[in-house]
Amino acid sequence: MKILYINNDGGGFADYVEVAEGTTVQAFFAARVPHGKPHDYLIRVNRQPAAADQVLREGDRVSFTPVKIEGALP
Amino acid sequence: MRFSPAAWAKLLFLRDLGETEVGGFGVTAAEDLLFVEDVVLVKQICTPLSVVFDDVAVADFFDQQVDRGLKPQQFARIWVHTHPGDCPQPSDTDEETFGRVFGATDWALMFILAQNGQSYARLRFNAGPGGEMPIPVAVDYRRPFPASDHDAWRAEYSANVQEEEFFDRIGPAALSDPGSEKKPFVPFGFDRDADVWLDDWFGPFEELPLMEEVALGSHI
Repeated sequence: MKILYINNDGGGFADYVEVAEGTTVQAFFAARVPHGKPHDYLIRVNRQPAAADQVLREGDRVSFTPVKIEGALP
Repeated sequence: MRFSPAAWAKLLFLRDLGETEVGGFGVTAAEDLLFVEDVVLVKQICTPLSVVFDDVAVADFFDQQVDRGLKPQQFARIWVHTHPGDCPQPSDTDEETFGRVFGATDWALMFILAQNGQSYARLRFNAGPGGEMPIPVAVDYRRPFPASDHDAWRAEYSANVQEEEFFDRIGPAALSDPGSEKKPFVPFGFDRDADVWLDDWFGPFEELPLMEEVALGSHI
């Protein structure tokens, strides 16, 4: 099945990818961001927070986006 | 690095609308990733000393730009923010964000515009051996550009910039677990509600007697 995957790491990615039936959000994250920590990303499925064991479905939109973007005066 | 005249005018306008820092993402032309055609704000909490983007708003921004057909390299590589005052140099917080958030991308650019007009732009390559360099900034008049739109820019500012409301934390969108009433929902990934930055911020003051707090300016 295909899902839309959005990620900013590397060259950035925003396109459809094939995933196996029954793939969970956690498994998908581990496969796509093998060296990343979930805590460093806002992980959403169809624009909503997702549980680690949520099973992905055909057509889902999965995004891993950066968190804690903060600036300050010197 | 070049700005379209409209993007530059918008950035100046946004900088001068309030007394606080303000930040956003530079959105570039597809064929020229260092040519900023627009500066887009996301929801943020700002003070004269700081700016903090809302994580959910950042995710929404990504969704919106992807729906427009843009690639992340066009809208998520150039981090723009302002500094009230006359110093455009990045702070430790700026450097920490640039390294942590943009360190996993193949390249990124930090741009800071100070109140007095001085600016700072640093391009960093994370691919291969890596490297970084300050780069010049210019406004490029050679391409067609739209007219200024103060009403739209003011509306964008009003919709996104929340000034100095430290205690109104913006959390993720309403969390729910429609699948189970017994098992509490735990979002995978970063959970702003569980973050302890406010505790860290105020922690040093909690042990102080009231008069010392007053002396340090935490009660005014």
